[in-house]
Amino acid sequence: MGKDETYWDIVWKQFRNNRFAYGAVWSLAPIVALAVFAPLICSNQPLVFSDGTQRLFPWFRALFNQEQAVDYLFNMALVGFPVWLPAVLWQNRRWAKRGMSGGRRLWFASLQYVALTLTLCALFSISALRPQNLHASRTFTEEEVASQGSSRGTYVPVPFGPTEQDLGTVFKGPMFRKPESEWRKSNDGFPHLLGTDNAGRDILTRIVYGTRISITVGLVSVGIYLSIGCIVGALAGYFGGRLDLLISRVIEVVLLFPSFFLILTLVALIGPSIYIIMIVIGITGWPSIARLIRGEVLKQRSADYVSAARALGFGHTRIIFRHILPNSLSPALVAAPFGIANAITTEASLSLLGFGVRPPAPSWGSVLRLASENYQYWWLLVFPAIGIFFTVTIFNLIGSGLRDAMDPRLRSMR
Amino acid sequence: MWTYVIRRIVAMIPTLFGVTVVSFCIMQLAPGDPLMIQAGSAGGAGESTQTREAFLVQKRDLKLDKPLVINLNYYRDFASPMKSAAYFEARSIDQVREDVAVLAKAADAESIARLAFLRSLKIPDFDSSLTNPDKHGALARKIQTWVQIFCEDTGAHGVPATIALLDATEGDLHQKIGAIRCLSRMVVAPFVFTYSSHPSEAETPKVVSAWKEWWRKNEKKFPPLDEDRRQALERKFTPLTTELDRSTLFTRLEEAGFDREDMPFLAGKLLSSGSLPERFVAAVTMKLLVAQPLRMDVPIDARPEAVADVAENWKVHYESNSTEYHPSGLTRAVRVLTDTQYAHMVVRLATFNFGRSALTTREPVSERIWAAVKVSAPLMLLSQALIYLIAVPLGVVCAVRRGRPADYAISLVLFMLYSMPSFIVGMLCLMALCYGKPFKWFPMLGLHSEGAAGMTWGTWLVDYGWHSILPVICLALFNLAGLAMYSRSSMLDVLGQDYIRTARAKGVREFHVIFKHALRNGLIPIITLFSSFLPAMLGGSVLVEYLFGIPGMGRLSFYSIEQKDFPTLMALIYIDAIVVMLSILLSDLLYVVVDPRISFSATGEG
Repeated sequence: MGKDETYWDIVWKQFRNNRFAYGAVWSLAPIVALAVFAPLICSNQPLVFSDGTQRLFPWFRALFNQEQAVDYLFNMALVGFPVWLPAVLWQNRRWAKRGMSGGRRLWFASLQYVALTLTLCALFSISALRPQNLHASRTFTEEEVASQGSSRGTYVPVPFGPTEQDLGTVFKGPMFRKPESEWRKSNDGFPHLLGTDNAGRDILTRIVYGTRISITVGLVSVGIYLSIGCIVGALAGYFGGRLDLLISRVIEVVLLFPSFFLILTLVALIGPSIYIIMIVIGITGWPSIARLIRGEVLKQRSADYVSAARALGFGHTRIIFRHILPNSLSPALVAAPFGIANAITTEASLSLLGFGVRPPAPSWGSVLRLASENYQYWWLLVFPAIGIFFTVTIFNLIGSGLRDAMDPRLRSMR
Repeated sequence: MWTYVIRRIVAMIPTLFGVTVVSFCIMQLAPGDPLMIQAGSAGGAGESTQTREAFLVQKRDLKLDKPLVINLNYYRDFASPMKSAAYFEARSIDQVREDVAVLAKAADAESIARLAFLRSLKIPDFDSSLTNPDKHGALARKIQTWVQIFCEDTGAHGVPATIALLDATEGDLHQKIGAIRCLSRMVVAPFVFTYSSHPSEAETPKVVSAWKEWWRKNEKKFPPLDEDRRQALERKFTPLTTELDRSTLFTRLEEAGFDREDMPFLAGKLLSSGSLPERFVAAVTMKLLVAQPLRMDVPIDARPEAVADVAENWKVHYESNSTEYHPSGLTRAVRVLTDTQYAHMVVRLATFNFGRSALTTREPVSERIWAAVKVSAPLMLLSQALIYLIAVPLGVVCAVRRGRPADYAISLVLFMLYSMPSFIVGMLCLMALCYGKPFKWFPMLGLHSEGAAGMTWGTWLVDYGWHSILPVICLALFNLAGLAMYSRSSMLDVLGQDYIRTARAKGVREFHVIFKHALRNGLIPIITLFSSFLPAMLGGSVLVEYLFGIPGMGRLSFYSIEQKDFPTLMALIYIDAIVVMLSILLSDLLYVVVDPRISFSATGEG
């Protein structure tokens, strides 16, 4: 081990040695890519469409005009991608020259991407700046194409929208393609690769867009409870005494309630929506994290460096958040990937029970709900199940890899 | 050991208190008043499909008309608000609309008082609607709704003030009508005419006084009976008094065929000092004959005679219950804290008296839960057994064969199972093995075939097993994988210990090393996992039972959430928490029993 290796560098090294976990991090890339590039894969807005008088670019405009905040967020990530990628490649070379570890580079690059995305979100929330979508509700019909002869919409590979209904293609199996006589719209000639649901919506498109919801629910809810848990746990562990007693009691009480049942109750009573789901998972999940952090902080509190910081006259806030917390984070970080996997499952099961994402919005769970009512249409069940299984496996692998990497006993054995 | 158990149970009391607080907070999410929602305020979350009556019954059952934690109504003076409430109660919607226009100017002292009263009701957008004439119609509707809710929530506290109103304004008919209408909203069933399903002597005074009042008014209408008729009735009546079951009593009463002419006989039975069964049967019979003995409500345009009559009834009610309406100073002081939503809920939960379901069937909650437990408990036990019987040996095999293909294969399968949510396994099973795509080996729904009741116990058992195998597997899988992985690592820890090496060096046979030295120690941490499985299973069973159509705890939870059945939901949350708490205690105790290195004194907080 080199002399200026930090703790996280060591963890990353350990993590890389675990082939499965390292592979899982890279398998995460296609899932995130699926979420970010969803409009590039599936969209019912043509990239280019000529209606005889003018050339239209509905796809590009639709990027900036999404009703769902989650879609808007990911579209901004898509818009930011071409800016971020070259910058990161260039930066990566510099960082590598400076000898920064791979894990650290990956981490910083992701942080930059998130920051860029959020900036773009804020920027284009000013409606004057964004290209207006005049064609959001327009159906690009074949008649127009026919009368104009040569011109025809140019689409992304799967030319269907996540909520685009078509009562002519209800419950069709995978690879179904409309017979040519029934073509009405410009995108009717394409096959439904994974079949359609009860309103003729394309399952592949819904699964691709559902990735966005799953990932957002996983990240945001875990983010919420990780922050609450860390702060509460650190306060309890650091100050001890009555505060500790009180917080420990609260933790104990909340942990008594079966978590899924509690989440289901709260979500159903407050009103089902994706934001409520994220918040409810966030506020019911913190006690276990707080308990872990509290234990760790209790251990760290009497360490020499804390006494040194106190002797230097640092305030409590600085000691807790700058010194103790970074050293006590590891158990909470191990819990995070498992938590994400759990949150994704929870969201899917809430949607399955009908308390999830509002119906037309695409989500894996809502496709499963349809499947649970119609077992004869196997494609409704199998494909979202594969999606959930794959994602959950990846996060679990990352979690167990992280756990092994942070476990000092395993480290000494290697 | 017992001192330890007792100490732990005492330590549970603050935790239970916390559980009630959390339950109480959840309860606050209950949908608001349907009337309020109709009147256009976002009163509650979620859409409510209940009727107004069902809601009121539930509201009073759950004491939702009381203040949250401190009840100061015992010290409030209701004279002026009741006067304003009575004023609005006696006016039709159009009149209220005119009033609103007057109120907007707020000239005289009376309107100012009324305005202050309306403001205190916290009607949403009150002031903005008041200044805007276009909204006066909607505002009038809202005022009526909120005044009604005010009366219902005030309850008995406002009765003395309203009765005073009834007495004081001898001449003003409107005021009287309003007061009566307020009273009929405030007091539920002012007179009790029949006994409850389990009659007791304590109910007698109320029932007797109610009928006495009715009889005093109506005695003249019934001619006295001659002796023959009286004896015939006596013969008919006496055998009925031995009938204990209520429903058969009703059918027998119908057969007996009493009619209104016989009223003097029945009244005599009830009002003279008869025995409890006699009074009970007499009261039931009289209630059957007279549907509405005493009128307690009047329409807005009632005639003075009717009003006077009803007012008379109310005064009688008030006087006969004056102790209730004027509690002693001590009672009042105590009730400030005990007559609140929270206190009532704590009492209900602490005594396991969960009341009745909010559904139209009005079943007692405890019966519903008991029926569900009887379905769920065997499934839970089976799956727990399955988990421990399969997972521990698997973990041991993996640990012993560490790094060999068997370990890799088993670990891989376990990891995949761990990542497979139970509902996905369940749905795949349902599709592939039950629905007929491609196999139709197991039933889709339920735990029993039709006609299971008539089976011999052998076939019944086979039938039960056939129905329950898939749900049990689904319940078990996720935890099974977790436990197996855990027992693997726990065994690995133990196998690396020095005493294992010593045992091997001693020449102990490998079988003994693993099962006697290692496994016993490796099992210790596994036992504690018992407590963490239970909450997971209670929650997870919601999905599995929903998918497989099993009428157990999980499906009951789901339906009570879906149908907004709050009494059941509260009880379920509470019971689940207690079960988890007890299982934590149990696993702590097991820990100490299994591991001699840990003593009761050292475990302290657990």
